[in-house]
Amino acid sequence: MNSSSFDRILRQVLIVPIVAVLLGAAALVWQMRQAAITVDKIELDDDRIALTLQIQKLIVDQETGLRGYQTTGDQRFLEPYRKAEEELPRAMAARRAMIALDSRRVEFTDFEQAHRLWLDGFAAPLIAAIEAGGKTDDLDLNLTGKRGMDDLRTRLANLNVLTGQKRAQDIAQWRRQVRNMTGALSALALVIGVLVGIYTRRRLQQVRTAFRESDNVLRMRAEEAFRSEQKLRTTLQSLGEGVITCDAEGRIETINEVACQLTGWSENEARRRPIALVFRLLHETSREPLEDPVTTVRRLDQTVTPTLQTVLLRRDGSELCIDDSGSPIRDKSGVMVGVVLVFRDVTMARKSQQALLANEKLAVTGRLAATIAHEIHNPLDSVANLLFLMDGNADPEESANFLQMAKSELARVTQISRAMLSLHRESRTPVPIDVKDMLTSILLLMESRFQVLGVTVQHVLPESMIVQGYPAELRQVFTNLLSNAAEASGSGGNVRLVAQAGSRPDPGAPGRAQAGVAIAIEDHGPGVAEANRASLFKPFFTTKGEQGTGLGLWVSQGIVHKHGGTIDFASSTDPEEHGTTVTVFLAK
Amino acid sequence: MAQPRLILCVDDETVGLKVRQLLLERAGYKVLTALDGRTGIEIFGREPVDGVVLDYSMPGMTGGEVAAKLRCIKPHIPILMLSAYTSLPPEVNRLIDGAMTKGEGASAFLHRVSALIGSAASQNQ
Repeated sequence: MNSSSFDRILRQVLIVPIVAVLLGAAALVWQMRQAAITVDKIELDDDRIALTLQIQKLIVDQETGLRGYQTTGDQRFLEPYRKAEEELPRAMAARRAMIALDSRRVEFTDFEQAHRLWLDGFAAPLIAAIEAGGKTDDLDLNLTGKRGMDDLRTRLANLNVLTGQKRAQDIAQWRRQVRNMTGALSALALVIGVLVGIYTRRRLQQVRTAFRESDNVLRMRAEEAFRSEQKLRTTLQSLGEGVITCDAEGRIETINEVACQLTGWSENEARRRPIALVFRLLHETSREPLEDPVTTVRRLDQTVTPTLQTVLLRRDGSELCIDDSGSPIRDKSGVMVGVVLVFRDVTMARKSQQALLANEKLAVTGRLAATIAHEIHNPLDSVANLLFLMDGNADPEESANFLQMAKSELARVTQISRAMLSLHRESRTPVPIDVKDMLTSILLLMESRFQVLGVTVQHVLPESMIVQGYPAELRQVFTNLLSNAAEASGSGGNVRLVAQAGSRPDPGAPGRAQAGVAIAIEDHGPGVAEANRASLFKPFFTTKGEQGTGLGLWVSQGIVHKHGGTIDFASSTDPEEHGTTVTVFLAK
Repeated sequence: MAQPRLILCVDDETVGLKVRQLLLERAGYKVLTALDGRTGIEIFGREPVDGVVLDYSMPGMTGGEVAAKLRCIKPHIPILMLSAYTSLPPEVNRLIDGAMTKGEGASAFLHRVSALIGSAASQNQ
């Protein structure tokens, strides 16, 4: 039920009873008016009766006066008679005016005539006789008078009786009317009351039903909302990652179990605190404090996935390596109303990665160890032999010759051993590296390996090109790539190494170019099969069976990316034109 | 007159080979050299070699493969394997008469050669 139908019901429930009551009141008023009319009639009847009685009284006064005068002969006793005589016409006229029916009027006229007759025929002559001093006790005369008077009395009495009857009728009518009124009104009140009651009840029941329904709906919705909130909460708690949500000001709203564990703050302690207090980040190597992702998101108004090596400083001061990312929470209109931060402990992962890297280094070194031993033993063996020869009976010229040879062999040993050692030297900060020097020394180091494999290596290293980087790691990359190329080429194959200055679009600044060095290693081996191309740079992927650890390319890519460079490869398994070219670009 | 023993030296390292040749010649042996297995086998078949000093790690044919081939041609000619490794695989060990590492020194080398192949100036066989 919506509010307009509710209003309508309210109006109906209000108006209907009022209307009913008004109708009842109208009926009552009508009835009362009818009754009032009847009362008027009764009053009129009363007036008629009163007037008739008055006339009767006046006539009796006349008779009394007459009798008194007749008895005493004193004029004084005629006073009532004279008075009545004066008043009677008026009264009679008034009474006549009250007569409604014609038949009654005729009767009244007869009465008036009868009275006139008595007056003129009896009273007046009697008075005259008395005034003349005559005798008035004649029986017949008095009887005539008496008969006349009786007749008048009878007529008047009839008049009143009739009026009285009428009055009684009117009263009866009035009583009837009142009875009817009461009855009708009671009935009407009852009926209206019942109807209004039923009507109102039905309407209000509608309201009640609607109310109940909406109450149910509300309750169901509340339950649903509660259930879904619980589900969400459980899901958040079950995540393997830490999740923290903040409001638009960067204060923590929710923090899940994992996040509590990782940060070292309990839910109660963390809530309402500024995120920067709870989520303290440092750069892994420089140890500089970093801006927390929530602040960054608020500042940039977009999702942020920092790729720096970040360390989380926990509440107790211990540290964790983490990967984190922050996203804005937006309302329907797109306004940022909060930030959600998701992060994960990668300490173990990073340690294993570092261990793998170290392992790879070791493996690379190990593979070269055999070659190195060979590389060092051969020259040393020659030096020993030469010294032996010089020790024996060699003439000065020969000895000088032998000495030169020995020197040259020793120089070779030193070179090789230096190259070997540089594999282990680590630097914490990037240093300038001459690409040409580095590649040259790698080629020297790998010379015998190439010989064993029966591969010739052509190199085009024009001039010195300097890049910034970590020498040991870059050596690892190129050794790896050259090794792969040589192995792919097979006996009699040819590998080409070309380093040249170049440029590429700057990924950090669109539209700008970045200068650097492009080092291409090309072989004409079988090429990389289509199916393998996608997996080439994945860890543990190898096509070398047990010989390969599969880390080589993956590690190499990691190192190149660390240097801000790129590593691309092009390969073809076409029987006419097979081979692979790997190109490493290092920015200057 | 005694014939000096003829030794065939096979090694891909030019300098090492040359120095070894000098050493053996100063010790009285006659030396033929080969820079790779193929050439070595060819010379071995052709010449009256008394012993072979063979380098193990060579490109193309390894020392082991060369030794196997030599055994097929003249099985009783002693072969001394030189290598940078301290131990050789058993299948190679079976083929050779002795092995030593490079770097043990010239006198040790000559001693070993004498023991295996015979002193420089001796009667044939």
